[in-house]
Amino acid sequence: MHRSQADLAVTAAVAVLACGAAEGGVPTAVTAVLGIMLFAAPGYLLGQLLLGARVAGLERVLVVAGLALAVPILGGLLLLATGVPLHRGAWVGLLTGVTLLADVALFLRRRRWRPAPASGQLARLRLARLRLPPRHAAAFGAAVLVAGCGLGLARIGAARQPYPGFTQLWLSPRRDGVRTASLGISNQQGTTTRYRLVLLHHGSVNATWNLTLGSGQTWQRAIRYTGRYAIAADLYRLPDLSHPYRHVATAGDRVSGS
Amino acid sequence: MGSGLPVSLVALSAGTGVLVVAAAYTAGRLGHASAPWADRLYWLGQMLILAPAAARLLSRRVLPAAGTVTVVVVLTIAEYLVKVCYSPAAFTYPDELMHWRGTVDILQTGNLFTTNYLLPISPRYPGLEEVTSALASVTGLSVFTSGLIVAGVAHLLFVCVLYVLFRDVSGSDRIAGLAMLLYASNSLFQSFDSMFIYQTLAVPFFGLTLLAARRLTAEGTARNPAGWLTVAAASILATVVTHHVTSYVLVATLVVIALASLLAGDRRSAAWTAGLALLCAVPVVSWLVFVAPQTLSYLQPAIGGAVQSLRTVIAGGHSSALPPSVGPLANQVLSGAAVLALSALLPFGWWQVWRRFRRDPWIVAMAIGSLSWYAIIAIRLAVSDGSELAGRAATFVYVPAGFIAALAVARLVSVGLRWRSAAVVALALAGALLLLFDGLANGWPPYWERLPGPYQVAGAERSVAPDEVAAATWALAVLGPGNRFATDSGSYPVLGSYGDQNPVRDIAYLYTSPAFSSSDAQRIRAQSVQYVLVDQRLSAELPASGQYFPVDRNAGRYTRPLPAADLAKFNHAPGVGRIYDSGNIVIYGLEGPGYAP
Repeated sequence: MHRSQADLAVTAAVAVLACGAAEGGVPTAVTAVLGIMLFAAPGYLLGQLLLGARVAGLERVLVVAGLALAVPILGGLLLLATGVPLHRGAWVGLLTGVTLLADVALFLRRRRWRPAPASGQLARLRLARLRLPPRHAAAFGAAVLVAGCGLGLARIGAARQPYPGFTQLWLSPRRDGVRTASLGISNQQGTTTRYRLVLLHHGSVNATWNLTLGSGQTWQRAIRYTGRYAIAADLYRLPDLSHPYRHVATAGDRVSGS
Repeated sequence: MGSGLPVSLVALSAGTGVLVVAAAYTAGRLGHASAPWADRLYWLGQMLILAPAAARLLSRRVLPAAGTVTVVVVLTIAEYLVKVCYSPAAFTYPDELMHWRGTVDILQTGNLFTTNYLLPISPRYPGLEEVTSALASVTGLSVFTSGLIVAGVAHLLFVCVLYVLFRDVSGSDRIAGLAMLLYASNSLFQSFDSMFIYQTLAVPFFGLTLLAARRLTAEGTARNPAGWLTVAAASILATVVTHHVTSYVLVATLVVIALASLLAGDRRSAAWTAGLALLCAVPVVSWLVFVAPQTLSYLQPAIGGAVQSLRTVIAGGHSSALPPSVGPLANQVLSGAAVLALSALLPFGWWQVWRRFRRDPWIVAMAIGSLSWYAIIAIRLAVSDGSELAGRAATFVYVPAGFIAALAVARLVSVGLRWRSAAVVALALAGALLLLFDGLANGWPPYWERLPGPYQVAGAERSVAPDEVAAATWALAVLGPGNRFATDSGSYPVLGSYGDQNPVRDIAYLYTSPAFSSSDAQRIRAQSVQYVLVDQRLSAELPASGQYFPVDRNAGRYTRPLPAADLAKFNHAPGVGRIYDSGNIVIYGLEGPGYAP
């Protein structure tokens, strides 16, 4: 293949592979890399189509990045206008479609106007200018590494930030007239916890549950209640049975806790 | 004076600065948020990022083009990483949570124009959410990670576009580098301008449109009118779809450049920029009329309030503005000194424009645009909530102001170098650091949340804690989306984002009365409130932000926390159920007859 068409082959291959990866069964790391390449491809190709080789260096990178960001904005609107919901398939289809169309357009254009023979030499010269002395390259590498450590430290700090544990108790009546309520507990104490849940109907014990919930575990029931009276629930955190740890009640019932 | 510092060492110092700031943040999270040493560690990290970069851009040994742009990029990336380190696991800034909600809505529904209860205008400008949901869809990354990538790329893109524009207009990498250094001193640079919010994505398109306009107006260089016109059109449309104010500023900027071109006698530039202004105005007006007519009512309170306050001051009345900074004295002194420094530099910059560039329409346009610096100072001093308005304008105002001030600094330094070089460069460096540190000290996060740490009552990012998030996600799962909630300002953005609920802003009366009166009940019925969230900690601490509620007439005037009895009154109110209890947070359901269903 002619050297000047290699980028078209690469972008077309990325589009096809990203489409395949989007079908599923591919590790997230692979999907992420292919996805980012697919996201950038339309910008690169449209930049080539619109400005050709007349714009170079930083300016080219900026235009390519801008076009890559503009494609989903304008393409998403067009898709929606044609009645296509913007789910994963639509986005993959949009970016793949634009990439392949731009590939074909560029291929045809390059067949008509071959690049000047000096362009390869020019590219090599530009690369040579970008070459860094080893000590500077090492310093840049160290900068990236140290900043990466900073990010890692921040993530570890956020993950280990101490927060007081808590337990959620709820008793939420349905608002559609059906006399049922959602009764539930979620343990966010950070450790396995034992509870006693007491359901009260007009002040009298209607049901009792002794529960042991692991950290992050949730327990819930749909409670039917009939008649004129409201219901309430007291949650005790064992072994303390003297004071309700949490209290909920539907409208009209007296509050006994907190 | 840092004259020979290699750019790679500037990068290494910046990377070390990021690590040091991350250490300060970790100390804050582990219980030392109020410790003076942790605060000093933060400023040491910032010094490691800013000082070498500023010294290198101001040094006697002029950097080559690649070196200058590398320093600018290093500075931008380092400050962005500092922002990421503040919230490395999830978005916590209220505005970011609003756009996170919008992106999740698009991913779930496949529709762009869904309801966003926190920021109802944002679905009408869905550019950011489109790009982020597209990236999340094709990569499989989370909305948070995708949002960080989009915001980071957009911020860096804007900075680089500005740099290229400044370099092109001035013909000097040195002036472009100095202009970017001064631009980085705006108080939003490290925070708001790189957050996951719609303006962050709109401004690079604003810059690309100007770059395309510059290329179209250039004479004698290799041009490609059709290509650049297409780039301009795509950038204009992307700006219009992404952010209202940015699109209006773009039209205004193109008009100013067209007028400046006429003043400078450059008819070609005037014709191109006027044409582009028209090309921009048509989609701006069309979008406003046909897609987002509610933009006017969204912007009216801020603009109308500002105009009214200015009229009052001009008519000889008293300013209704609060003091521009209510932070520590050091912050106020820094702010005052920075305002004086930039205000003094601009006239000297205009003199340079008159002497050297008065035939260059773009530089004349920037001189005209830099007048807006004095306008935002007037707004800051004269308008109620002027600090907020002036702060938001800084993203745009610092473009011309930074450039004109850079002309002044470059001239002063070059004159000084002939006279007493080391002292002059040191003075310039001290001035630049003053401006940069003012931007940080008076920017975001505010001084009361400089470091992340334990929960704060009615704070901002430190009010996003696991029990708030748990209550909000419970509300969405059990109650469904879109319920009208009364809540405090700390839980407000969490409830509206994670919970997809519809929190009410003007609700302070409900929490500050000793009893749940019939007039309270009547008022919440009128506001269609269905649930009341009570955070018991409102009775334990004063509000970190100065106000307990989104609309709070007592803002800044609280001397003690709310009485516990005022918060407990709902337990005995007729028709009110206590439906959720997690200790600190209790949610009451208004179940009785007459309340909203």
